[in-house]
Amino acid sequence: MAKFDLSDDSVVVIIGSGAGGGTLANELAQKGIKSVVLEAGRRFDLGDIENDEWAMFNKISWLDKRYSGGGWHGAVNHPTLPAWIVKGYGGSTIHWAGVALRFKDYEFKTRTHYGAIDGANVEDWPVSLEEMTPWYEKAELKMGVTGKTTGMPHLPWNNGFRVLAEGCRRTGRSDYNSGPMAINSVERDGRPSCQQIGFCMQGCAIGAKWSTMYTELPRAEDTGLCEVRTDSMALRIEHDANGRASGVLYADAAGKQHLQKARVVCVAGNSIESPRLLLNSASSMFPDGLANSSGQVGRNYMNHTTGGVYAVLPEKVHMFRGTSVAGIVGDEVYHDPARGFSGGYYLEFLSLGLPFMAAFLEPGNTGWGRGVAKALESYDHMSGVWVLGEDMAQERNAITLHGTEKDQHGLPVPIVSKTPHNNDYEMTEHMFKTSTQIYEAVGATDVYELPAYPATHNMGTNRMHADPAKGVVNGFGQSHDIGNLFVSDGSQFTSSGACNPTLTIVALAIRQAEYIAQEMNARTI
Amino acid sequence: MTIQFHRLRPKKETHAGMSRRMFLMTTTMAGITTGAMLGGRAFAASGVLTAAQQGTLLRMLQDIYPHPDLLQLSHYEAIAATVLKNAEADAEAAKALTDGLGKIEEQAQALFGTAYTDITDPDTREGLLRHFQNEGFFQTVRWTAYFGIYDNKDVWPLFGYEGSSVEHGGYIDRGFSDITFVPQGPSLEERMAAVQG
Repeated sequence: MAKFDLSDDSVVVIIGSGAGGGTLANELAQKGIKSVVLEAGRRFDLGDIENDEWAMFNKISWLDKRYSGGGWHGAVNHPTLPAWIVKGYGGSTIHWAGVALRFKDYEFKTRTHYGAIDGANVEDWPVSLEEMTPWYEKAELKMGVTGKTTGMPHLPWNNGFRVLAEGCRRTGRSDYNSGPMAINSVERDGRPSCQQIGFCMQGCAIGAKWSTMYTELPRAEDTGLCEVRTDSMALRIEHDANGRASGVLYADAAGKQHLQKARVVCVAGNSIESPRLLLNSASSMFPDGLANSSGQVGRNYMNHTTGGVYAVLPEKVHMFRGTSVAGIVGDEVYHDPARGFSGGYYLEFLSLGLPFMAAFLEPGNTGWGRGVAKALESYDHMSGVWVLGEDMAQERNAITLHGTEKDQHGLPVPIVSKTPHNNDYEMTEHMFKTSTQIYEAVGATDVYELPAYPATHNMGTNRMHADPAKGVVNGFGQSHDIGNLFVSDGSQFTSSGACNPTLTIVALAIRQAEYIAQEMNARTI
Repeated sequence: MTIQFHRLRPKKETHAGMSRRMFLMTTTMAGITTGAMLGGRAFAASGVLTAAQQGTLLRMLQDIYPHPDLLQLSHYEAIAATVLKNAEADAEAAKALTDGLGKIEEQAQALFGTAYTDITDPDTREGLLRHFQNEGFFQTVRWTAYFGIYDNKDVWPLFGYEGSSVEHGGYIDRGFSDITFVPQGPSLEERMAAVQG
């Protein structure tokens, strides 16, 4: 691995090593561009992965102080855990389940298709599906996504998904399958095929699921052009007298502060830390935070309209055996205002182990007693889905800084506020009804509806917009205000779409690397 | 958790058609009597709680996560021992626990003129405990019970959960797709054909 001097101002500094930052680092390295990756968490490898829900939660989660705010149930039930994401080498690609769906064309152009929605901040992306399609293909080849792009078959169907699929068949559905997943169904790219271990979201113990932990990051390091510094928490982005980003101040494991000089700075710390860093980097030249002339930094926080549905079947299912997200139902992903809401949603089969089922069946102080105990005695008869659909951007849903409370680095603690839009409530109702109907068709005796988990899909807090007055970055994730400052994670999203964000984050990172290389060559940055 | 009940529910279910509110007011499930509860092996002797308070704690644990057909008294006794051990190491927590158990007893006397452990109707006991569910001592006991039952590898088999699989080569040869009440998924050939050409 390369070692760069703190005073080396020729490097690209990338903050975060997950889907956005990890991919960007490797793409730049393959083009001969030097980078320093600052990762707040520690270095992980496959030896750290255990098939144990709580052990892994405690090992890899981002557990620095945060507050949940707004009107969602988590403000009460998950008061200090608004989001369920990872701190460490590989970021949340350790935890992600591997679902690799593309946005639909209308989902990039929500303002055009939905119109203005009262109380929401709906806008079009400055990119289209047509422009993104070749980048999606590159992302699918890179990650090893089952389906037509790679020719790799979708995974075999496990018990839990077979129950869901049969319910879909009996209710006349046609769009349900065990992919596309960024999980090898055959050996590919030096990684083995899926052994149906389960525990995908605790980290894949054999590396069958794509994660930057054992693909992009070590490959970037192997070029000798990328240095990944773990236990390195970015504190603020510095700028020069001309208002150009000049370096990043960070704290090492011992809390000692260093300033890494930079030619370009790319922020990829996920949708809470990325806007937090920009806000914490306020200066006399940029009193509202960096890249924030639009006032949109930290705003429009989206995390999908979600919930869980678990059905008790007449026979044993043992849903925990095999891939955690073993199948996807896609035929509710369309926009039809006659349904009472805008946008669409997916149903994704999702197994939980007994520990997490018992914790999330009824989260919060009330989740005990005979009702809960009775439900859990049916655990081995359950199949279930995670429902996720488009979340309307709202300015009031935001990452803000606590007025007085500071974290271990002396930075204001972030408050993550989310109040569902009426559209979300209408959609959730529809999701639960659909899921119930499907499971009823296979003989479900009870169906349990679970509220949203702490968010794994965090988006929108540094949104793209063609108009610098309405967004933080342009269509390449480049700040409208500061030419050599980029956003490289899901906080760029203008809208949430219905699907899991990772494939789009990776596709955007590949595209952004190309753009950065081009602009560096042209000496515009 | 919202429970949706369905017309396809088997008739033999004991809680058919009842909402959770109804659970709190009915007596369809036989509780474990106090006598049976205290008849078992005593858990770790402790200076923190009196014998009566230990009885309250043990009853409380069984009311928080009641699994009378699945778990033995010894499972709950082990959790009670953990609660006591933690309380012994933390004077503040110990005081919160003893005060809390005292409040449960006071409430039982005030509402029913009897000791909490002498209330025979499990729904009445649960209803009583609901008064205290937002208090720290209650949640401390509740989460200790949660970890002692649902995150306890020795207990998992009773719920049909098999846990870690990587050391066995995953579930690929261990029943990941073995159910027979719904059709098989597509074969490898069918899955290959679907993504090629």
